[in-house]
Amino acid sequence: MKRTVVAALTAILALVMVAAPATAYDKSSPAAGLPPVLKVGTEGVYSPFSYHDPSGKLTGFDIDVMNAIGKKLGVQVQYVETPWDSMFAALGAQRFDVVANEVTFNDERNGLYDLSDPYVETTGVVVVADDNSTIKSLADLKGKKTAENLTSNWSEVAKGAGATIVGVDGMTEALANLRQGRVDALVNDKLAIQNYLATTKNPGVKVVAQTDDVSRSVLAARKGSGYLPQLNSAIAALKADGTLTSIYDKYFTAKVAAPTTWELVRNNAWPMLRATITNTIPLTIISFAIGLVIALVVGLARMSSQPVVTGLARLYISVIRGTPLLVQLFIIFYALPQLGIKINPFPAAIIAFSLNVGGYAAEIIRSAVQSLPRGQWEAASTIGMNYATTLRRVILPQAARTAVPPLSNTLISLVKDTSLASTILVVELLRQAQIAAAPTFQFFAMYGVAALYYWVICLALSAVQSRTETRLNRFVAA
Amino acid sequence: MGDPLVLMKDVNKHFGDLHVLQDINLGVDKGEVVIVIGPSGSGKSTLCRTINRLETFESGTITIDGRPLPEEGKALAELRADVGMVFQSFNLFAHKTILENVTLGPVKVRKMSKADADKHAIALLERVGVAHQADKYPAQLSGGQQQRVAIARSLAMNPKVMLFDEPTSALDPEMINEVLDVMVELAKEGMTMVVVTHEMGFARKAANRVVFMADGQIREQSTPEDFFTHPTSDRAKDFLGKILTH
Repeated sequence: MKRTVVAALTAILALVMVAAPATAYDKSSPAAGLPPVLKVGTEGVYSPFSYHDPSGKLTGFDIDVMNAIGKKLGVQVQYVETPWDSMFAALGAQRFDVVANEVTFNDERNGLYDLSDPYVETTGVVVVADDNSTIKSLADLKGKKTAENLTSNWSEVAKGAGATIVGVDGMTEALANLRQGRVDALVNDKLAIQNYLATTKNPGVKVVAQTDDVSRSVLAARKGSGYLPQLNSAIAALKADGTLTSIYDKYFTAKVAAPTTWELVRNNAWPMLRATITNTIPLTIISFAIGLVIALVVGLARMSSQPVVTGLARLYISVIRGTPLLVQLFIIFYALPQLGIKINPFPAAIIAFSLNVGGYAAEIIRSAVQSLPRGQWEAASTIGMNYATTLRRVILPQAARTAVPPLSNTLISLVKDTSLASTILVVELLRQAQIAAAPTFQFFAMYGVAALYYWVICLALSAVQSRTETRLNRFVAA
Repeated sequence: MGDPLVLMKDVNKHFGDLHVLQDINLGVDKGEVVIVIGPSGSGKSTLCRTINRLETFESGTITIDGRPLPEEGKALAELRADVGMVFQSFNLFAHKTILENVTLGPVKVRKMSKADADKHAIALLERVGVAHQADKYPAQLSGGQQQRVAIARSLAMNPKVMLFDEPTSALDPEMINEVLDVMVELAKEGMTMVVVTHEMGFARKAANRVVFMADGQIREQSTPEDFFTHPTSDRAKDFLGKILTH
């Protein structure tokens, strides 16, 4: 029965190629108005439109379409993976030039961005759990809970039908919430749901209704980009030569075998370890080192006899400790570009984490220094040592002993806090796990492996901590 | 005879409402050993600590070897190196070995070579009788041994004058003499010393002069013999009566 439904839906859902005049396109002139390397924002965790295959390669319907467009236009396409809810902020911040991520055309967006002609059309569908018999139409969503991306078009549709929206990161999480009974339904792209039903053994959910409005997926660029004529001509050409149809068939009619949990773990253990070694660990080490330098300066400033210096140090500590780390990351990565300061993901994460460590560790250093007897300062000054020499030779080596346990806490927290960098496009351990889990719904396996990796790092750090403590305790009488 | 090595003129200091040093005038000649004595809270430790500006003061002047005491910075650091100080609580650098405690100043402040500093330090440690403990940490030594190391640490800077702020008050009785013996030796060798102490034995053996303080003022000054046998002020008689009857 289900197969027939799917087949029927597929048939109904003919890929609509909106008539765009394929006149402007001239093969001999290479992509006037486009950058030689076109940066494209996409989620990377939105199966089957934009996701990673088991080998870790970025693929999907939108990716294949975008690659075909790039080939037609003779430009190189480079992808920048970004969570959907940050997508337009990142586009505005010039992290990339074009969004290829099933962006649905609407008037509001059309006013804010350059939107291309559609490369696929679809409708929305209402999805409920298999055992749900009360929701049969869009209207039945009134008063029910639905899981949606807050900034997606489907969220508006569900809200319009009177549903209460539970905000989630993407369709993968929306489906997971539905299967776990935390929401009653979801409204999402028919193509995406169809692919999910076609590739999942026991989907646990069913399509009960279709929305009236047709949704047209388009490419989005910043207003006034000048890219539209080129993009539109390429889309028209791909429609004319059948490329779009064959890409469509590849994703929405073919059956894809889902990998087993064990295969998934085996395929992703190394990519996740690589993300740990190339991103999570360097983020931790570099941020902690810079953070300690900041902490030393701020901690000493905090103890200064100059009221202005002390006040600045207090303000810094107060701001850092009084605002969420995630907000600090977003300000540096998404807000600063609006002031013309654009920082790449990795350095942006380093800056945010270093400043954060600096704020917390400053207080640790201050308390460690203040816990030393005054006599140590006095004794050093009576043999003629100045402030800097006293600090370096007498105070800090002894303060280190009291500071190591709380600083180790800060370091271990930092290891885990680096996972927040996943929200600003750094492909670190958690992001890699999300990428692996997204097309397969194997949350337990992938997040379990990620948790194990974090735990192993922290175990190693704890071992280093006890060795350091033993070494620093050598001068204390037993 | 030239100017005094240490000269305090009309020095005043308050701790809040408490007028802890009142018009202090005191000169200490080169080679002289001055004992400062007095009841608790009389200002004797504060007097000792103002001489190298561990305590600030509000008015008056202090000169060391004719040079006025700088207020801060490099000049003050240099001057302090010329004025050795021994504390009641030793204040050895807990993370350094005994040898390193003694060499740290010469190497980092005087820029002496490590080898020369070590040689000099060993000689000083031998002089105070703790050379065999050179590689231990302060916490592994007894109080008396630690205080003798503190004296060696000060001597390593070749100071012109040594200040002792109740050097034996934190010691168990059986360790007091080992420290006093070192101080008596120093006095005999001609070191200029200002010593805040209640040790009458030391005063009689080594001091040239006793300064009696009470309520922030210097009440009388005389030789140890005169002071202990014929105190002139009532405060001094009262104080001596209290400490000598035990």
